[in-house]
Amino acid sequence: MSDELKQEQEIARIIHTTFKTAEVDIKRAGRLSIKLRSDLLPPFISYLRDYLQFKHLVLISCVDWIEDNEFELVYHVYSYEKKIHVMIKVRIDRENPKMQTILPFWDHAGTYEREIHEMNGVFFEGNPDLGEFILEDWDNIPPMRRDFNTVKYVNEVYEWRKGREDKQDVRETISKEYGEIIPDFDSEEK
Amino acid sequence: MSGIIKQEKETTLYLGPQHPGITGNMMIELKVTGDTVQRGKTHVGYLHRGFEKLMEERLWMQCFPIVCRICVPEPDPNEENLARAIEEIEGREVPERAQYIRVLVLELSRLTAYLLWMGGQAGSAGLYTMPQWTVGDRDYILDLFEELTGGRVYHMYIWAGGVRRDLPEGFKGRVLKVMDYLEERLLEYDRLLFENAIFQKRAIGVGVIDKEKAMEWGVVGPPLRGCGIAHDVRRDEPYEVYDKLEWEVISKDGGDVCSRAYVRRKEIDQSISMVRQVLDKMPSGPVYNPGPNPLKWKLPVGDSYVRTESARGEFGYYVVSDGSLRPRRVHVRGPAYVHGVSLLERMLPGMNIADVSFIMNSLGTCPPEIER
Amino acid sequence: MGKIKGTLLPFSALKYLGKKPHTVRYPLETKKIADRYRGFHYNDIDECIGCGTCSTICQNDAIDMIKIDGIESKKGDSGLRPRVDNGRCCWCALCIEMCPTGSLSLTDKFILTSSNPDDYLLVPGVDNPEAKDNISFVKDNDITLLNFNRVPMRELEGSERIKSFAEVVLGYVQEEARQEAIRCIDCALCVTACPAHMHIPEYIAAIADADDKLALKYIYDNNPLPEMCGKVCTRQCETVCAMAHKGDAIAIRWLKRYATEQFPDPSIVLEPKISDPNGKTVGIIGGGPAGLSAGYFLALRGFDVTIYEALPKMGGMTFAGIPKYRFPEDSLDKQIDYMKKIGVKMINNIRVGKDISFAEIKEKYNAIFMGIGFHVPYTIGLDGENLNGSIQAIDFLREINIGNKVDVGKKVVVIGGGNVAIDAARVARRIGAKVTILYRRRVEDMPADWEEIEGAEDEGVNIITQGIPLEIIGKNGKVKTIKYGMAEMIPDPKGGRPRPKLIEGDEHILEVDTIIGAIGQEADYSFLTEEDTKELEIERGRVVVNEFKQTSMKNVFAGGDNVNRTMDAISAIADGVKAVEGIEKFLLG
Repeated sequence: MSDELKQEQEIARIIHTTFKTAEVDIKRAGRLSIKLRSDLLPPFISYLRDYLQFKHLVLISCVDWIEDNEFELVYHVYSYEKKIHVMIKVRIDRENPKMQTILPFWDHAGTYEREIHEMNGVFFEGNPDLGEFILEDWDNIPPMRRDFNTVKYVNEVYEWRKGREDKQDVRETISKEYGEIIPDFDSEEK
Repeated sequence: MSGIIKQEKETTLYLGPQHPGITGNMMIELKVTGDTVQRGKTHVGYLHRGFEKLMEERLWMQCFPIVCRICVPEPDPNEENLARAIEEIEGREVPERAQYIRVLVLELSRLTAYLLWMGGQAGSAGLYTMPQWTVGDRDYILDLFEELTGGRVYHMYIWAGGVRRDLPEGFKGRVLKVMDYLEERLLEYDRLLFENAIFQKRAIGVGVIDKEKAMEWGVVGPPLRGCGIAHDVRRDEPYEVYDKLEWEVISKDGGDVCSRAYVRRKEIDQSISMVRQVLDKMPSGPVYNPGPNPLKWKLPVGDSYVRTESARGEFGYYVVSDGSLRPRRVHVRGPAYVHGVSLLERMLPGMNIADVSFIMNSLGTCPPEIER
Repeated sequence: MGKIKGTLLPFSALKYLGKKPHTVRYPLETKKIADRYRGFHYNDIDECIGCGTCSTICQNDAIDMIKIDGIESKKGDSGLRPRVDNGRCCWCALCIEMCPTGSLSLTDKFILTSSNPDDYLLVPGVDNPEAKDNISFVKDNDITLLNFNRVPMRELEGSERIKSFAEVVLGYVQEEARQEAIRCIDCALCVTACPAHMHIPEYIAAIADADDKLALKYIYDNNPLPEMCGKVCTRQCETVCAMAHKGDAIAIRWLKRYATEQFPDPSIVLEPKISDPNGKTVGIIGGGPAGLSAGYFLALRGFDVTIYEALPKMGGMTFAGIPKYRFPEDSLDKQIDYMKKIGVKMINNIRVGKDISFAEIKEKYNAIFMGIGFHVPYTIGLDGENLNGSIQAIDFLREINIGNKVDVGKKVVVIGGGNVAIDAARVARRIGAKVTILYRRRVEDMPADWEEIEGAEDEGVNIITQGIPLEIIGKNGKVKTIKYGMAEMIPDPKGGRPRPKLIEGDEHILEVDTIIGAIGQEADYSFLTEEDTKELEIERGRVVVNEFKQTSMKNVFAGGDNVNRTMDAISAIADGVKAVEGIEKFLLG
C-alpha cells in the first residue's frame, strides 16, 4: 500500500471530512468504491465534480439485488487529472425505486437514466425525458430485472422451430437405461 | 438559396433507420426548415439483442462468444474488456506473451475500424471510391484475423487467462507485409481524401465540439482528442503492455470533423507502429493461464470496471459477480452511447441535412453498442 | 495553388482502374482458407462418447444430443451423438475446446444455402463423413479449458509404509477435493460403468459446491458402504471417465472417500427414515458387502434382518482379505456401527452348516439372502505344494487381519498377479520379509490395480514377470527353493490377451522360506445338503440368479462374488441392493 495509493487515500480522507457516512473502499490504484446513502447522492456528485475535479461521468449502472429487495445504482465517475475512477454505490428500495436525477451535472446522464428507467423501472425525479428509449410498446416487467425470465418469455411469445424434438438429455438417457433413480434432495427439504 | 423555401415551415425528416452513414441501424427524427436542422431526436431499438440480459443467464465462459457481437466493426475491445474484468475479479495473471498478442489484436482491429470509418467518412461526403478501397484493404487485415483466430469478423479469440491460440508459424512476416502495404496505400488515401479540397471544404469548421464543454458532455476518444484534449485510456490507465510501447497521444485543436479525421489518420500510423513494436518485443512463452472447468467456474464476489481505448473512444465494462456460476450484471459502456444520443442531439440544431450523417460518422456513432 | 492541387489529386486514383481487386477475382479463384478456419462441424463418430459436453457449453442452444441408428449405448458411451443446428450455431468453437475426447472439430466448409430449415440440421460425422479431410479448427492439447491433470493424492513414503500397517493413502483435504471435483464435466458416463449406478455426477457437483452433506446423501442413496468403496473400490467408473481419454480420470474414488471421511457419524447427516416394521424377517448368510448392503436397505424398509457371519467381524473379504493399510479397521467399524443403528442385527463367529444348519435358517426366516463370497483358494498344482511353508494368500491375509501372527521367514515368493497377490506381497513386506512376485505374464497384463502395483514397487517388492513356477523343492518337509522357467508371449490369433509359452531350458531357482499362492478362489458350498444342491442351481461355482437375484430356491436370494463375475465389492453391493428389490417384491408383492 502506502506510497502507491497515497492519492487514493488522500481522496478518501477528504471525502470523509464532508461525508461522514460514506464508506470508501480503495480497491486498487485508480479505483475507489464508495457506498453512500441514496439521499446524499446529488450533493456528493456535485462535491466530487466541482470540488474534487471528477469531470467525467462514465456510466450509470443498475444492479438488481433481488434477494435484498434493493437496486444498487452505481455511478461511475472519472478524473482525467488524478486518473482515478470512482464507483459511487447507492442502494434504493426495489418496491418503489426512486432516485433524484443528476441531469443538472451532466448532460448525458439523462440518457443513462432513461435507459435504467426503461430496463429496471427506476424512476428518476427531475428528469423530464424518461420516455421510451430502446424498447417499443413493452408491457411486461422491466426486462433487466432479475425476475424477468427470458426463456419463459421466449417460450410464451415465440414458437420454437420444428424438427429438434428428438433431442435427449444425456444424464436422463443414462439414468433411464440403467434404472437409476436420482433422488431430489432439494425439493425433499422444502 | 435561403430565399426560395419559406423558413417558417417545419418539416419532420426521418433519417434512417437504414445505415445513416454505414454504422448500423438507428434513426434520427429531424425537424427541418429548409435544409437546416432545427432539432433532432435519436431513436434506437432496431438492434436491441439484450446481450446484457442474456449474459446474466449464461456461464462466464459462454459470455465470450456474445460480447464480440456488441460492436461489428471492432469486436475485440469487448472480448479484451470482459476478459480483463473477469481476471481482475478473480485475480488471475495473464502471461506476458498473451498480453502482447492482445495488443496486437486490438491494434489490428483498430486498423480495421479506422479503415471502415475512413470509407464511411468519405462516402458520406460523396467520395465513393474511398469505401471501395478501404473495405478492400480491410480485407487484408481480416485475412490475418482469419489465420490467427479462425474467424474473420467475430474472432472470439481473447478469453479470460490469455488468448485462445498462439500465433501461427510465419505470422509475423505476413503481418509486416500487410503493414508495409497499408503504409504505401495510406499515401494514396491522403491524396484522395485528406488533401482533397472537397473533403476539406466539407470538414473544416463543421460539427464543432466546444473544447470547454467536451469533457462535461462525456466526449471521449478521437472526438475528444480532436478538441485538443490529449486523453487516451492507453496512456491514462495503461492496460496490457501499452506502457511498454513507445508512442505519444495524438491531439489536434479545432474540434471539427477535420481535426477528428486528422487524429484518426495519425492514429492509423500509430497503430501500424505499435503493431511493429509488439511483433518486435513479443517474448516467447505460454499464451494462456488456465482457469477452472468452465462448467463449474465460479467467480468470487466482487465487481470491477475496466476500460479500453477503442477506435471510437473509451470502451468500458462494468462486471458484477455474486459468487455464482453466472454474472450478476455485465454493463457495457460504449462511447457511441454518449456520442450518438445526447451529444448528437445537442449538436444537431443548425446543422445542414447533408452534414448529419457526415458528422455522425466523424463522432463514431455505432448503434449496436448503444443498445447492446 | 493548394486548392488546385487538392482538386487534381483525386484523379491520381484513376491508375487503379487496372488494378487486380483483392476481394473478387475474375475468373473466380477460390481463396485459400486459413488453417484455423471455423466452419461446419465434423465429429469422429467412433471417438465420440456422447458425453454431451458440447451441448452443455453451447451458449446458442444449437447442439442437441440425439440417438443415431447403429450406435448403441455401452459402458462409457451414452450412445447419443451431437447434432448441430447451423441456423443457431455461431462457430465460436467452445464445443471443440470442451470436447474431452477431441472427437469434435470444425472444418473449412462454410457455405450452405437453403430455404428449408431442416437442411441446417447437421449430425457431424454422420451427415458429412467426407469432411474428415477438411478439418481445420481442432482442440489444442496445450491450451485447453478442461483440466486434464488430477490433483495428486498424498501418500506415505514407500520406506515409511513398510514399517507399519498405517494407511498409505492420506486422503484429500477440502481444497484438494474441491479442485478435483471442479474438473468434472458432469457427463454421467461413469454411471454406466458403476455396477451400483451410484449418483456420481451429483455427488461430485455437491463436493465442487462445498456441500459435503448433500454429497453424502447422494452417496448413501444406493450404497451403504461408501467409505469402503472410497478406499478399495475397483472403480470401473474411472476407467470410462470422459476425462481419461486425453488425461487423468476424475478421482471419483478419492472424492467419495473424501465425502465419507468428513462425517464421523453419517446418521447425523443422513437422518435415515426407517419404515415401520412390516413383520417380515430376512436371514442373511455372510456379512460381506453384499450381505451388509442388502441388510441395510431391508432394515430401512422395515424388515427384521439378521446377518450370520463366520468370522469375528463383519465385512467379509473387505475385512479378511484387504490389508489394513488399504482399509483400516476403524473405517469398517464406522460403517458397521451405522448399520447397527439402523437396526440390522449381526451375529458373528457363527458358521452356517457347522454352528447352525442351512435348514434351520430357511425355517426361521421368510427369505434368505446368501452372500458367502469366495473364500477357498485354488491350489497352484505344483509338486511340493503341500510342503511346510507353502501357504495361500487368502489364508495368510485373513490370519494377519484377525490379528494373528504368521511367520513367513526372510524370503517370500508370491505367485500371481491379481490384487490378492499384491496385497499378500505388501503385507509380507510389512512383516519384515524380502518379497518377490512371480507372474506368468507381463506387468501390463496384471489384473491388479496399477496403483497397487506401483505401491508394491515403491515398497521394494521385486516383480518377476513372464516367470512360470515349475516346482517347489523342499528339505526336511519344508520349502527350500522354487524353480521357475521364463516364458515368451505368444499373441492370441483370436485377439485375446497373449499367452505365455515356456522357453525350454531357461530355468531359474529362487531360495525361499515361504511361498504364497494367489491365483484365485472359489466358494465353499459345503453347508448345503445333498437335497439343497439338487434344488439350488449352481453353475461353474456360481449360484444362478434371475434379474432380482432370486435363486432357483424361491425364498433364497444371492449376491456377491458367488454370483457375479466382476467379483468386487461394488458389484456385491449392487447385487445386495438389487436383491432388496427382489425380496420386497417376493414378500410384500
